[in-house]
Amino acid sequence: MKLTVNGRERELDVEPGTSLLNVLRDRLHLSGAKAGCERGECGACTVLLDGQNVYSCVTLARACEGRSVTTIEGVANGAELHPVQRAFIAHDAVQCGFCTPGQVLAAIALLERDPAPTRESIVHAMSGNLCRCGTYPKIIKAIESVANDA
Amino acid sequence: MPNEPRKRYVSTIVEVEGRDERKVVETPAFDVPPWSEQERLGIVGARAPRVDAPTKVAGRATYTSDVSLPGMLHAVIVRAPLGPGRVERLDVAAARAVPGVVDVITADDLTRPTKFSGIPLFDPAILYAGQPVAAVCAESREAAAAGAAALAPLVPSSTPVLDPIVKAASDEADVVERGDVERGLKEADVLVRREYRTPSQLHSALEPHGAVAHYDGDRLTIWESTQGVFRVRDEVARAMAMPRSAVRVLMDHMGGGFGAKNHAGPHTVAAALFAQRTGKPVRCVLDREGEQIDTGHRPATVQQVTLGARKDGRLTVIIADTWVALGAGGWEGGPAQIFHQMYSCANVRTTERFAYTHSQPMQAFRGPGHTEGAFALERAMDTLAKELGIDPLEMRLRNFAARDELKDRDFSSNNLRRCYEEAAERFGWATRESRRDARTSPTARGGFGMAAQVWPAGGGPPAHATLTVQSDGTAEVLSGTQDLGTGARTILGQIAAESLGARLSDVRVVLGDTERTPYAGNSWGSMTTASVGPAVRMAAVDARGKLLEAAAELLECHPDDLDARDSKISTRDGARTLTFAEVAKRIGNVMISGHGTRGPNEQGLGLMSFGAQFAEVEVDSETGHVRVLRIVAAHDVGRVINPTLAESQLEGGILQGLGFGLFEERILDSASGLPLNSTMHDYKVPTIADTPQIEAWCVATVDARANHIGARGLAEPPVIPTAPAIANAVADALGVDITEIPLTPWRVLAAQQRPPAER
Repeated sequence: MKLTVNGRERELDVEPGTSLLNVLRDRLHLSGAKAGCERGECGACTVLLDGQNVYSCVTLARACEGRSVTTIEGVANGAELHPVQRAFIAHDAVQCGFCTPGQVLAAIALLERDPAPTRESIVHAMSGNLCRCGTYPKIIKAIESVANDA
Repeated sequence: MPNEPRKRYVSTIVEVEGRDERKVVETPAFDVPPWSEQERLGIVGARAPRVDAPTKVAGRATYTSDVSLPGMLHAVIVRAPLGPGRVERLDVAAARAVPGVVDVITADDLTRPTKFSGIPLFDPAILYAGQPVAAVCAESREAAAAGAAALAPLVPSSTPVLDPIVKAASDEADVVERGDVERGLKEADVLVRREYRTPSQLHSALEPHGAVAHYDGDRLTIWESTQGVFRVRDEVARAMAMPRSAVRVLMDHMGGGFGAKNHAGPHTVAAALFAQRTGKPVRCVLDREGEQIDTGHRPATVQQVTLGARKDGRLTVIIADTWVALGAGGWEGGPAQIFHQMYSCANVRTTERFAYTHSQPMQAFRGPGHTEGAFALERAMDTLAKELGIDPLEMRLRNFAARDELKDRDFSSNNLRRCYEEAAERFGWATRESRRDARTSPTARGGFGMAAQVWPAGGGPPAHATLTVQSDGTAEVLSGTQDLGTGARTILGQIAAESLGARLSDVRVVLGDTERTPYAGNSWGSMTTASVGPAVRMAAVDARGKLLEAAAELLECHPDDLDARDSKISTRDGARTLTFAEVAKRIGNVMISGHGTRGPNEQGLGLMSFGAQFAEVEVDSETGHVRVLRIVAAHDVGRVINPTLAESQLEGGILQGLGFGLFEERILDSASGLPLNSTMHDYKVPTIADTPQIEAWCVATVDARANHIGARGLAEPPVIPTAPAIANAVADALGVDITEIPLTPWRVLAAQQRPPAER
């Protein structure tokens, strides 16, 4: 199958039942997406599929034929971090960091759809990404800061 | 007269999560004068960005499950489907026949008998559903899972005992009594008696427990998601019958612990054994179900509390009879201590009964014991205040404990009054009634509550660190502690930079490596800052002295005439300057290094962190739904090394406390003992949508008696008062009694429907 990952076209042999997460982590060695629950409940595996945030653990790799996947490794512009990544650092929206790649990608997808989200729409868009350390207040601030700068 | 030579090792008492441990520890080779309150510090106290945040936001931080070695095999743990009972069949041959399966281990294959939480590893005697019975190793995770399914353990089981009161009836009770509670009961003008219940809360770190093991025929290397690399090393060495020095344990980044990751586990020994048996690296990472059903929990409690007070609100008696459902193992962490230390009262008796029940063993969960006890104590205080017609805050101020009455000693420092005052002011406690009726719907009821907290957080020895000035002038700090996401790496870097006179960006902190980093203990008990911080400061002071002496030789002056700042050394008149890099370059590739040791605490002193939290809630009286609108929290933790990171810790603790108060509850089927909510969907941790407005800070202070950096711990304190503050606010909103958490809608509705006499 063919798949574009972080702008680069990949050709892979993939078993039918394989999740996108396993292809990314095990085959392409992109370990930024994490396996937190592997049943679409925690959001640690979030990636962008044609710009939409999806749970890669419950997305079949074969269903992504010809589509474009962006992982956390693909959002920076060379050495320059994405504005959402910079905002997460500036507002300390990171503790253990295990959920962070998924949170950053969900936030990027939100701001692509809605560059000036209300607090309510931030909360709505981000509630599929769990954080056990409790960075939520700082995530809200980080996203609001990017929206205000835009 | 020369001074008496300093005794190199002394015996001292270290308090860990309320337990006193006697240890022989190294004394520091020289005294580091404490940073005073007036000390002008530039890096310590600054809102420096978290040093590993750039790596984490880029997805480049390596967690245990990201460690991938050539030829690596995958292992899974096989669990008893039911319990209690005995494994009658385990089809090892069928598992071995599964394509891709490489090896299977059962109890017969262990190097030596090994116990976790008192339970023999892979024991055929099953105490609870989910107990490990074997492990399978295969070329892929899928093949390992298929092998595990083929093992098909058969465990005919009997009915589990889950109720701690039923189980503990025959067990010994742990009683702590001071004063005369009978007299206290007689002296009381008002008595309140209630039975409170708290749930079993699951740690639910997003990164499950896991290990990667590599055995090279001689030495074993383990990557483990752990709060204590040295403890894991010792436990693995024991299980493998290897010398400790032949085992290396590494932990760079980890995805949360909260108390569940203080030990090696079945997964660690399985990975190590398979690596030894197959000669290939092996990864064993738990799946989510395994994480939720077999890595520990905050034990559920039943607490029968009696409080008595005079008309003026002064407590005359505190009695707490408690039962703790530990599960099949674990240590005896009960709720009693906070009943002795939170308020001043002459007559106190606590009783803890620890029940071994047929469910997974407990592990410490952030603020163990105190978090459960605070719910009962703080609900009872509010109920008593209501009976007496005294404002809840005033009630607490009248019973303020100026000393540690349990251990009859002074506190090193106690700014709880300031916490009450600052938080009440910000919250608008005095004017809260003016906000009560501004609600979003006709069935919504507004309520206000508060609660307080005390927690032993002084840290202590042993903890060691070294600081080396590299040949390019940068500094490397080594210490065998861990950063669980707490920010330890950042604040230790700040302490080192401040003490050395370096820029923070020139300091690199390396943690969590039993081979390379000097010993520090587990990251538990809110101990890291106050234990490792002084060791790092001392190492930096030691290295700075050597660096100044080297520079003095180059500048042909006396070291006392030099000062170090921003990675530069200057004469005090500012006339001549050398950068650290220039000094390092000119003296060549030699090593300037300092060693730091955490000395004993002043004995007979209570080293406690304090705090007060205020909650505003809105409760729908028809649906029973509770929304927390606002939490205002002020905590006293001594000197704050980094206010931003401290606030993050406070917010995180508050959110876990909110989950404990509102919806987190491990549910077991009473007939079979099976866990019924072992997914992240069914076990409810707070989401971003549950996040209230949180205003949390640490009061500006320095604890000069605690240690020479003036800091105490703050990781656990914030989780303790949140649930009771919320429960007090819900009780206030509806005018009913609340005796049980979590406050799911049905519990709120049931509380409303109870006849008034029982409210």
